[in-house]
Amino acid sequence: MAFTLIDQQTFLQPATAVTQYIGCPSGCDYFVSTNLTQMATTNATGRVVRGEWYGGGLFADNDGLRWTKTNSTSGINIDNFSTTTASNGFTYVPIFPAPQAALTGTTITNASPAVATVTNTYSEGDQVIIYNAVGMQQISGMSFTISSVSSSGFTLLGLNTPGSAATAFTVRKVAPVMPVLPQTYQITGITQASQGVVTVSQVHSYVVGQCVEFSIPASCGMVQLNNFNQPQSKPPIITAVTAYTFTINVNTTGYTAFALPASTLSPTAQLFPTVAPQGQNASYNPITGVQTGYNFLQVPFHSGLFIPYMILPAGLLSPGGSGGDRIVVDIYKMERGTLNSPVPS
Amino acid sequence: MAFATGITGIQNMAPELPLQASEDLLSTPMFNLIHSFGVDLHHAESYVGQTTRMSRFERLSTDGGQLDGSGIDPSSEVPVRTDIDAKMEIYAKSIVTNEQIIIWENSKTLTKFTALLGGWLREKEDLLMRDLFSSSVSYINCTGGLNGDQPSNISLNDVNNIENILLGNDARSMLTSLEATNKFATAGVRDAFIALCSTNLSSDLQKVQGVLLKSAYPTQEGIRPEEYCSISRFRFFVSSKAARTPGISLKGNTVYTIPMYGLEAAAKIEQNNYTAVIGYRPPWVVSSVAQNSQLYAKFAIARAITNQNWISGLNVTTFQPS
Repeated sequence: MAFTLIDQQTFLQPATAVTQYIGCPSGCDYFVSTNLTQMATTNATGRVVRGEWYGGGLFADNDGLRWTKTNSTSGINIDNFSTTTASNGFTYVPIFPAPQAALTGTTITNASPAVATVTNTYSEGDQVIIYNAVGMQQISGMSFTISSVSSSGFTLLGLNTPGSAATAFTVRKVAPVMPVLPQTYQITGITQASQGVVTVSQVHSYVVGQCVEFSIPASCGMVQLNNFNQPQSKPPIITAVTAYTFTINVNTTGYTAFALPASTLSPTAQLFPTVAPQGQNASYNPITGVQTGYNFLQVPFHSGLFIPYMILPAGLLSPGGSGGDRIVVDIYKMERGTLNSPVPS
Repeated sequence: MAFATGITGIQNMAPELPLQASEDLLSTPMFNLIHSFGVDLHHAESYVGQTTRMSRFERLSTDGGQLDGSGIDPSSEVPVRTDIDAKMEIYAKSIVTNEQIIIWENSKTLTKFTALLGGWLREKEDLLMRDLFSSSVSYINCTGGLNGDQPSNISLNDVNNIENILLGNDARSMLTSLEATNKFATAGVRDAFIALCSTNLSSDLQKVQGVLLKSAYPTQEGIRPEEYCSISRFRFFVSSKAARTPGISLKGNTVYTIPMYGLEAAAKIEQNNYTAVIGYRPPWVVSSVAQNSQLYAKFAIARAITNQNWISGLNVTTFQPS
């Protein structure tokens, strides 16, 4: 039996293209991406208009077949994503967790936000884990969402002036979210304010009305936020959110200042400060007519990641395409198994 | 007349069928199922939505309350309710079998495959609960070990730190005490919270100060085979599939997470009439020429951390990288 088209999906890249994660409900033996936007253009720099991936171990991670238009024409060249000039290709992920190969970086600035220098092929919005951060060990093992990504580095919008700079570090790209949501996040900052503002290292999925619990080691200060120090042990409630921060209904003005511990305290200092979901406290006031929101998509515990999935990195020469591109993906399955394996994948 | 001579043996007349099946199948591997037995079990009714709500009233304030004789009432309090919601999800697995397997395989393949699917049901459920623990619980890095990594290998101080957190949050222990008996080399076991970890940590567990291996418990009656030891107020259960993330410690080693919790920390919700469905689709349904039949298994599950105060845990590495 030939390949059977199992599923077909489409997505529109936002203005700043991001890595796309395509769930494969029945697995995948053959995957095709077609960039409808670039198919209709003839750009001077050439673009990927179609990508193909075969299962069964025929391609390494981050590879596949790359169909590119010749500069300023509709002539087609076909090679691998790994061919010079290399670009990001397909990665099929059937399990969790799946940290990708480690990269060695040179510096992370002690700035707001922190900027990491490392030769990479990552995309906007990717999740990474940084470890062995020499001079900034207080973040070693912490997960981050990256932004302003270039081939030489990226920005950590969830890390503001951690106290010292790193002179070397190692980084791995990991899955976009945890298998179950809402998930736990690592805290990098909490303000002293009438309603404390918490900064986490990743773009979070918390919503207004959600309750949270804090786990803050003494080495980070502000232990008053730990549940057993809160009046009646009531969980704080989120009152406002941004991508990396959320505001809680707790007056932290008089609390001990929060600060990540010094790098020199590693590995003996207790790490990390974390925040975990603790239900929600949505309400409706019939007098004022004010509804404190409830989000059926975010608040209930649910699967966060459909496994297996295919990673389509963003980029002019990658299957995820660039900003504003409309892309269609076809997911095929072969019932007899893959081309070089008799066992169905 | 000449007679043909010689002895007929297996050297010059090989057996027609040079193999035979042994009397029984070998064991199919199954990992220790440790992630479900310590959680609360709830049931969801049909026809009332996909999301189940579990609610808890937070305790009332104990501040003030004294009547001073003036006739003025103490202020009343509005109770606070916290709602924990969980979404029901369905998981399924199938095995499609060609008729030629059934015609020429002289053993009962459908029976064997049904047993395999039954094993999948329990294993998948266990892994889903593991994923809940690894995603939605706050873990603290071990620092008391001596391997110089971040997190370090497990130590008694780290275990005691989690006990402090759970006791400070008024968590209740999960397992009752095992009273000491008059047997050599055994000791009583205190009432305990439970801890779930990888089998790769077994050698490190043996080295933790004050560890009591399962063999030194005063009784073996009712002790689960997955249990490994007792340390401080925790009884440790091990599984080869417990949560781990390779290559993310300070030194680039595997980091293992150990959820540690007491009563009512997490919940598993089963959908009534959908907890374990195993079925068979005959060849004339599956295939237009009636050559393939299908066995399937499916189940519905929702999962939730019901009280973050009563669950915590440790991130650890092993003393020697594994």
